[in-house]
Amino acid sequence: MSASAQTATADLEDVRRVLGGDVRAFEGIVRRWQGPLVNMAWRYCRDRGRAEELAQEAFLRAWRGLASWRGESSFSTWLFALAANVYRNDLKRVPTVTVPMEDAPEPSAPAAQHNELAERSQNESVRRAVLALPLRYREPVVLYYFHEMDVSAAARTLRLPEGTVKARLSRARALLRKRFPYLESATAAAGTTHLPSREEA
Amino acid sequence: MNRDQMNQDQLDTILAREDEIIPSSGFLARVMDKVQEEAVAPPPIPFPWKRAIPGFILAAGVLGWGTVETVLYAIHQPAEFALPNIHLAASITEPMQQAGWVVGALAVSAASWVLSRRLAGRF
Repeated sequence: MSASAQTATADLEDVRRVLGGDVRAFEGIVRRWQGPLVNMAWRYCRDRGRAEELAQEAFLRAWRGLASWRGESSFSTWLFALAANVYRNDLKRVPTVTVPMEDAPEPSAPAAQHNELAERSQNESVRRAVLALPLRYREPVVLYYFHEMDVSAAARTLRLPEGTVKARLSRARALLRKRFPYLESATAAAGTTHLPSREEA
Repeated sequence: MNRDQMNQDQLDTILAREDEIIPSSGFLARVMDKVQEEAVAPPPIPFPWKRAIPGFILAAGVLGWGTVETVLYAIHQPAEFALPNIHLAASITEPMQQAGWVVGALAVSAASWVLSRRLAGRF
């Protein structure tokens, strides 16, 4: 049995026990999914403390609404969609502190691009620029990379058609390319490697 | 490889190469404490529909009766329905006209403020 199948079986068993009145069984669910949920929240807000608070709220919502999971989708899909909803609503209520995309710092000295520090700084600038995207474009980007470049998984989490997610990803990339026009030469010089996406694989 | 494809690959490289964070050691315990609190908390008091329904029915009846009476009054006695003429001195009407413009300007300002906040919240 594969690891994901084992996880799915364990999830199903824990959900049954929780719905049967065994509160402690929820611990297994939290133990298995705390890493992914905290990391997902981190990508939404890039604030460690807030990421944990958001993930905690997502687990509480999952606890309250556990009976609403009918098993039509996998437990992880249901949990990620619920968490995304919690994170999205919270970010609408209290937006992350971001600078406008136009003001995101960009390394200006080409010679410095060879320096590892400069490359790190540039990468961080790109990630910060993602946070400055409008939410409708930011969320597909966050979830696409969180799900290791799997469009269909991101679409399931967002509960949107794949075509919509692809269109928003394309628009988000266009906005980022506009902000970082010389990204190509900069990262090529730094010797970055191409990660194949799941779609290509 | 065209420019767009290459640029996309570089974005992929940067955004996919994200460091993972590990939840703090007390995270699991904190979540389970909250869950336990919720589990032992008494269920929320349901809305008393049985008691409220007669009140709702009465309120709806009064409102409907009032609406019907108003409409019947307007249909049957249109000639008698006229606003009373109020005669005011010029010294009073002029400042009132000014006040009307002030109120109008305030209303437009408030509407544009509300609209801008709604737009800002959407984007």
